[in-house]
Amino acid sequence: MNPESAQAEEPLLLERARRGDEAAFAALIRMHQASVFSIGLRMLNRRDAAEDLAQDVFLQLYRKLDSIESLEHAGFWLRRVAANLAIDWLRRAAYTRAAPLEDGVEIPAPPTCEDPLMDRELVRLLGELAPAARAVMVLRYQEDRDVAEIAAALDMPVNTVKSHIKRSLTAMRGKMIGAQLVTAEELS
Amino acid sequence: MNEEFENRLRRALRRVDAPEGFAERVMRARPARPAAADLVPLRPVRPTSVSAWRRFSAPAALAASLLVAVFAGQHVATLKAEREQQAGLAASRELMQALRLTSQKLDLAYEAVQRPAPPPAAEEENRS
Repeated sequence: MNPESAQAEEPLLLERARRGDEAAFAALIRMHQASVFSIGLRMLNRRDAAEDLAQDVFLQLYRKLDSIESLEHAGFWLRRVAANLAIDWLRRAAYTRAAPLEDGVEIPAPPTCEDPLMDRELVRLLGELAPAARAVMVLRYQEDRDVAEIAAALDMPVNTVKSHIKRSLTAMRGKMIGAQLVTAEELS
Repeated sequence: MNEEFENRLRRALRRVDAPEGFAERVMRARPARPAAADLVPLRPVRPTSVSAWRRFSAPAALAASLLVAVFAGQHVATLKAEREQQAGLAASRELMQALRLTSQKLDLAYEAVQRPAPPPAAEEENRS
């Protein structure tokens, strides 16, 4: 079942998954796996860890299916759990230091991107942010969520989210200019 | 100023597909979860009246106890007030009686004082 047809069967899909329909739960996973896996990947900077995290998140969803009210709620719930779990993992010793990209971390550049080098650098700079700020940026620029939803997902005041975004953008932009990957004129 | 940079960031942070076979691996890792239809109640369902009685008996008993306590307290207070009132009336009656007796005695004394003394001649005649 592709995501579009699953979307069309939205009211039934969740109900079927709750009743133990394996195909329905698998469809739910496929519908949200790119989002959850990407949150893990951008947060942890490692594909194996991102897959572990995504699997953990979907297993939690499986146990909590009865409390999920709609597919939209499922999406919010998955983003929230994935981001918070990633913050937790980052704060543990095993994941506090992101492995450098050259050490087997393969984050594919989007096929249509204009400047793969710059994209890789932006991803690397994202990895230098503190866990909470990184989660804010991932939810804002990868998941395209608004400030209010990010605040709700991360249990943060809205002003803190805005402050994280502003400071992170300034820091990342400054480092890009400092590394001469981009000029201030190009970004103005 | 940041708009161009934000757009670049959006492009760089585009979602990445999960690895091949990810959903299948999650499905295999799931713990057993019985379907809702297969769920067997662990305890027999109790009749509604019994469960309702169990649910409401304690609050009902408490409410009844409170009512009894309030009425009993009120009754005791009324009896006490009546007793005090009767005692007051009795004391009042006794006081009035005492005042009446005192008044009578004072009247007799006053009459005795006011009565004129008999003449001395009459006294001598009487002696002879």
